[in-house]
Amino acid sequence: MKNYLMTQLVKHRCFSDICIRGFLTISTALLLTACGQSESDGDTVDLVVPDNTEEVQAAYAADPDFYSFKALLDVPADLIWESGDSLPEIGSPMAKKGGTQYARLQDFPRTLRTVGPDSNGSFRPWILDDTTIAIAHRHPDEFVYYPGLAESWAVDEAAKTIYVKLDQNARWSDNVPITADDFMFMFWLFKSSYIIAPWYNNWFSTQYTNITKYDDHTFSISIPEAKPDMDGRVLELRPMPQHFFKEVGEDFVERYQWRFAPTSSAYVIADEDIRKGRSITLTRNKDWWAKDKKNWRYRYNPDRIHLSVIRDTPKVFEAFKRGDIDQFSLNLAEYWYEKLPDDDPDVQSGYIHKSVFYNQLPRPTYGLWMNTSQPLLDNRDIRIGINHATNWQLVIDNFFRGDYTRMQTSSDGYGEFTHPTLRSREFDINLAQEHFALAGFKKRGPDGILVNDQGQKLAFTLSSGYESLKDVLTILKEEALKAGLQFRVEVLDGTAGWKKVQEKKHDIHFSAFNTSLEMYPRFWETYHSDNAYDDAFLDDGTVNPERKLKTQTNNLEALAIFEMDGMIDRYRTSDDAQEMKDLAFAMTEMHHEYASFSPGFYQAFFRVGHWRWVKYPASFNYKHASTAGELFVHWIDTDMKEETLAARKDDRKFPAEIVIYDQFK
Amino acid sequence: MFRFNPQTLKKLRRFREIKRGYYSFIILVSLLVLSGFGELVVNNRALLVSHDGEWYFPTYTNFHPGSDFGLGYSYEVNYRDLSAHYKETGSDNWLVMPLVPFNPYENHAPGGIFKPIAPAFSDGHYLGTDTTSRDILSRLFYGTRIALIFSLAFMACVYVIGISIGCAMGYFGGVFDLTFQRLIEIWSNIPFLYMVIIVFSVIPANFSISTRIGILLTVMVLFSWTSMTYYMRTETYKEKSRDYTAAAKIIGASDSRIIFRHILPNVLSTLVTFMPFTIVSAISAITALDFLGFGLPPPTPSLGELLKQGTANLRTAPWIVTSAFGTLVVLLTLVTFIGEAVRESFDPKKFTIYR
Repeated sequence: MKNYLMTQLVKHRCFSDICIRGFLTISTALLLTACGQSESDGDTVDLVVPDNTEEVQAAYAADPDFYSFKALLDVPADLIWESGDSLPEIGSPMAKKGGTQYARLQDFPRTLRTVGPDSNGSFRPWILDDTTIAIAHRHPDEFVYYPGLAESWAVDEAAKTIYVKLDQNARWSDNVPITADDFMFMFWLFKSSYIIAPWYNNWFSTQYTNITKYDDHTFSISIPEAKPDMDGRVLELRPMPQHFFKEVGEDFVERYQWRFAPTSSAYVIADEDIRKGRSITLTRNKDWWAKDKKNWRYRYNPDRIHLSVIRDTPKVFEAFKRGDIDQFSLNLAEYWYEKLPDDDPDVQSGYIHKSVFYNQLPRPTYGLWMNTSQPLLDNRDIRIGINHATNWQLVIDNFFRGDYTRMQTSSDGYGEFTHPTLRSREFDINLAQEHFALAGFKKRGPDGILVNDQGQKLAFTLSSGYESLKDVLTILKEEALKAGLQFRVEVLDGTAGWKKVQEKKHDIHFSAFNTSLEMYPRFWETYHSDNAYDDAFLDDGTVNPERKLKTQTNNLEALAIFEMDGMIDRYRTSDDAQEMKDLAFAMTEMHHEYASFSPGFYQAFFRVGHWRWVKYPASFNYKHASTAGELFVHWIDTDMKEETLAARKDDRKFPAEIVIYDQFK
Repeated sequence: MFRFNPQTLKKLRRFREIKRGYYSFIILVSLLVLSGFGELVVNNRALLVSHDGEWYFPTYTNFHPGSDFGLGYSYEVNYRDLSAHYKETGSDNWLVMPLVPFNPYENHAPGGIFKPIAPAFSDGHYLGTDTTSRDILSRLFYGTRIALIFSLAFMACVYVIGISIGCAMGYFGGVFDLTFQRLIEIWSNIPFLYMVIIVFSVIPANFSISTRIGILLTVMVLFSWTSMTYYMRTETYKEKSRDYTAAAKIIGASDSRIIFRHILPNVLSTLVTFMPFTIVSAISAITALDFLGFGLPPPTPSLGELLKQGTANLRTAPWIVTSAFGTLVVLLTLVTFIGEAVRESFDPKKFTIYR
């Protein structure tokens, strides 16, 4: 479920940060340490500690359709139980435990909660997304699931139900066993209004229909629609410790603001390691329940992970060059080629290693989103013209120095669900002008911009919430001018940009939806007319003349095509992978024909610079990894760190290592 | 209009005698005049093209598509390429480019990759280029022009408001004076920088660039006029009790006439002394705001934006920060020299040990 949560949530993040450019990913590049102990009663001074046990039980009793209790005998006998046994193990047996990893936080977290207001920040991966354990996880090379909290699981497609047997050893960091009750409680918590998280409330109320407890370690969860990847919707769920959250009530947000919850992860945070505004240190739990479990035992190696707040990226880089920080993301060309070039003395002396890793995963959809409800942009010829007048190749070649790849569709990177032959439109001034002419823009005005017979200029606002990519817009603007098209560039801060498109006030907006590791692309959010207009069509499929633009949805193109709606509805309910593939291709083609999206670029790799004491497995990383650190397969070699620092002092050199891992290119 | 009184004229003469300030003033004024015709000095459009016997002056006219000069495209001519084209083909046509043949918005990357290029005379980038291969000299030139115009406009607005309210406070006194003093005390305690940041985060983003500059100016003026009022108030108080004011009153002059025709010319020296420093603070403020990203919207050329780029690329492109910083230092030094000279020449105690 993490995936589902992530996709929604990250959208915001994506708009507000600069995801692709990887500044932030630095933070995920590293890892941690441990120790144990959890917090719990921290600083609450109430005389009476609230207890919601009765309230929770009453809620279970009030909704027996959702919360069921049955006996072990009720589990169907003919289920096929899976446990991902045959998958290759993740991590390297060479990995050594120990050492301290030093990394950077862009901002001090505003809370230690993982749900509720302010919780979805750049710190959350350290205490939730990248570290805690779900029922099962997708294997980063094979895409199928390997066990996390589960020992095994079974899918009953007909009943749209997944059965789970938990690992008997699974424990929270305060040594309380993780049981089916924690899952049931998670549903209650995420559906409760106390957490002030409407997205969670909605998702957990509509995407799941039942949880049944058979015994402490066996339960099942049902979902409304059978899908080819329906197992993921359940297997990626992460429980919440009921014993810790028994005080949840109206004051949830304040009560749990700075309390670190018991966790299934290898890392815990001690109260004394939180220096507000300065740093947070994670400590490895030496008694972690999964420390000997396959796929987990060679990961999460550093004893401690010290995260200090450094706001400016240039300062982070300086800290990295001094060795105060272990790794630095070199995704940006200026860092890879200029600030840490191959002939940099630290690189040539072998102190700092540079690594490029080509990965495969759904790509964030960088491109121009045209609002087809705006005048002129409702004309397909204009949109095709704009596609041809947008010089992405120049951006890729000159700005990204040829490192990035042109995006072809709005759903690249989904393997066989991505359209194999469709190609995005090339920059071509003549074709662009032909299409503009078809729309009535034939003459150039005194400033070189096309005008139509009414004297209207061919000019649109090109907005974006990505301040760091503002140069891309400037380049596009200068190039579009050649075709007689004027872009009025408007760079907003992340929040303002997001707000603008959510209110559908944009003409053309440059941005991207972040994606998570999923089997097939989503179409409903971005291309269904339900998300474009209220009552877009009459019953016979003709346009409703009184339809009203719908705001606060992700259909940024205000795209409403009657046939597309039908296909999306079939796609959403289909449980046949082949049919879904056919539909996905047909919809992608239809979207291409409609020309309301100008696909931009994607980055087919990640690059990182790391001091030589940060070691990685021989293959460096895994096919579906999006950053070097997210799987925590690296380790800190403390002896090598001492050796390197000493060598640096007396100017001893090691062989330089600049490695390109292109096995998944 | 009021005429300068002989004393003021004497002060102006003294100003001319203080060479450092006087020459700074000349330099700054010529800079201003020059920037008024900036398009003739720093621009990617040719000053003059002689093509097939016809002369073109494209600087201030409509755009010329490439087809006008025998190039096969319909978008604006690249005059630098045109010049090279004329040379290659050995034609009789010729053109004259401005001194700096780049405009502040174009990405000109001789190597094909947008990155900072070190200063070099060979490719015409006398101060190098910024991170997206835009000519730094060109951006500095137009950035300075905008900063100067902005600060002059700022000064004018602040003075109009500050003088009117300050004089009125001093002249009317009493409840009016008291009320305004309290209001100003409260108002001037609002931190101006935060206000700019807050205002800028809530104004609708679809405003055009000139509107946004206008709003920035308004906000800055709104929070800066207060300091001027205090000086004007005390000066007016002083002048008000003089006999000539009483005489004017007896003759039956109106309040506004007394304030603007009689009192104002006599407090001019205070005013003039503050002018250069107001300009300095306006330039610093707009630069600081740009540096923080709350100033002029991109891609407007600005000193603050260049400084920001420069500090982010200290190691790899030191020429960005040196040019921007150098310009800022020169500009502020010039204005400060002028300010010192003005203060000295308007100082009533001519023979003083204070210099």
